[in-house]
Amino acid sequence: MSSIKRAVSLYSYQDEYVRGKLTLEGCLQELAEIGVEGVEVITDQMFHNTPETDDASIKAWKEMVNKTGIVPVCNDIFINTNLYHNRMLTKKENLDFLKKELVQAHKLGFPMVRLVSATPADIIEEALPLAEELNVIMALEVHAGMAFDNAMTKKFTDIMFKLNSPYLGLVVDTGIFCRRHPRVSTAFFLDQGLNPEIVKYIDDIFASGDDPLELSHNKLPEDLEKMVRSRIDREYILFAGGYENKDFSVLDPYMPYVKHFHGKFWEMTEEGTEYSIPYKELIDYLKEKGYEGYIASEYEGGRFALPGTEIDAVAQVRQQQDMLRSYI
Amino acid sequence: MFDNYVLTDNSLENVKKDGEITGYKMRTRITYYRGIPLSMVHDIQVEVDGQEVPRESIRFSPDGEIYFTLEEMKTVTSYKWEYGQEGVVYVEQPGGLTPGEHKIKLTQVSRVAYIPVPFSGTQTKTLIVQ
Repeated sequence: MSSIKRAVSLYSYQDEYVRGKLTLEGCLQELAEIGVEGVEVITDQMFHNTPETDDASIKAWKEMVNKTGIVPVCNDIFINTNLYHNRMLTKKENLDFLKKELVQAHKLGFPMVRLVSATPADIIEEALPLAEELNVIMALEVHAGMAFDNAMTKKFTDIMFKLNSPYLGLVVDTGIFCRRHPRVSTAFFLDQGLNPEIVKYIDDIFASGDDPLELSHNKLPEDLEKMVRSRIDREYILFAGGYENKDFSVLDPYMPYVKHFHGKFWEMTEEGTEYSIPYKELIDYLKEKGYEGYIASEYEGGRFALPGTEIDAVAQVRQQQDMLRSYI
Repeated sequence: MFDNYVLTDNSLENVKKDGEITGYKMRTRITYYRGIPLSMVHDIQVEVDGQEVPRESIRFSPDGEIYFTLEEMKTVTSYKWEYGQEGVVYVEQPGGLTPGEHKIKLTQVSRVAYIPVPFSGTQTKTLIVQ
């Protein structure tokens, strides 16, 4: 038994929520029922009029939290840098929005905001005094496709290393540790007419220990380009770059700054493991490094539901939590 | 991948005002996982029985109460289309649609925070006007 704690990101329940099967309170009750300690929320998803949600919503949230005993762990926020169609927001506008998000997160009782990948790094230093005052950590998401190699991630980590503040850190999405392309994604795209040769091409890259990250950023190699017959083929290749196959040691230099993990998953198998990500080895690595933060379930298999099938994120999260509990 | 949210079943109906049919409407969920200001709803396209509807005839409402033209929406930042809230697409067309089946293709395009190109969702369904 280690000190790693478990949470669930309500991102997991987005389909149940949008279809009215689960309310925000219903989500928290589900977490209480399955014995999860913490919750992560995308405020833009389950609160209205963010980043200035009203006092009544904040009060209602606090009551839900008190009633269920679930701990607010992380608030996923976005800066709408492309709010307008004809220009990007200025630095001042971005900073003002970030400050509003920090205030809202504080009011909701979150000790941390997750800045989405590609959040402008030039506003971080100026927002830091407010983050300190409110006691809210700002942590950039390191997500597959936009992970440590990414220029915008690097801009943030440079500032993070330079300022070395306890209020700056990283949220690591475990999608950077895929050993195989999720087969639920493959099935979804095959159903839409994906060329099976491309499936094999991508699977072979993973099998060789590499990942298709480069394919989504560069011109395709000639042999792969020849296999592309449709828009679906191109989409599959583009999205394949969103699953990286990195060794855990990629985290070594960053571990002192890692504040939180997104336990990404697409499919819990009948054997009780995740199809793509080796969670046992990951948890062993985190134990060895003495990680004491949370890992939050982030189910993303719902987007690959085949036409006519129901999404059951509740069951998937329960299975993943059982797995995490046994490894921790 | 969020295409299943684009067009709500059984949501196509003619709209009457002062006893006259002024157009028709349908309901839609956002093809993204969070609410966004209306200015980030980049475009909405409607095709009925293979015919594209003129852009100027389309109105959008994030809540079924307030409506904007697509040109107006470009600058609307004080209203959000919330996740979990069905928006209404209204098409101005005196007389509306004839009763019976119509093949509706609805497309919505949004600008997403971390993807450089606008992100679209499309769904085609045969819906019935009563």
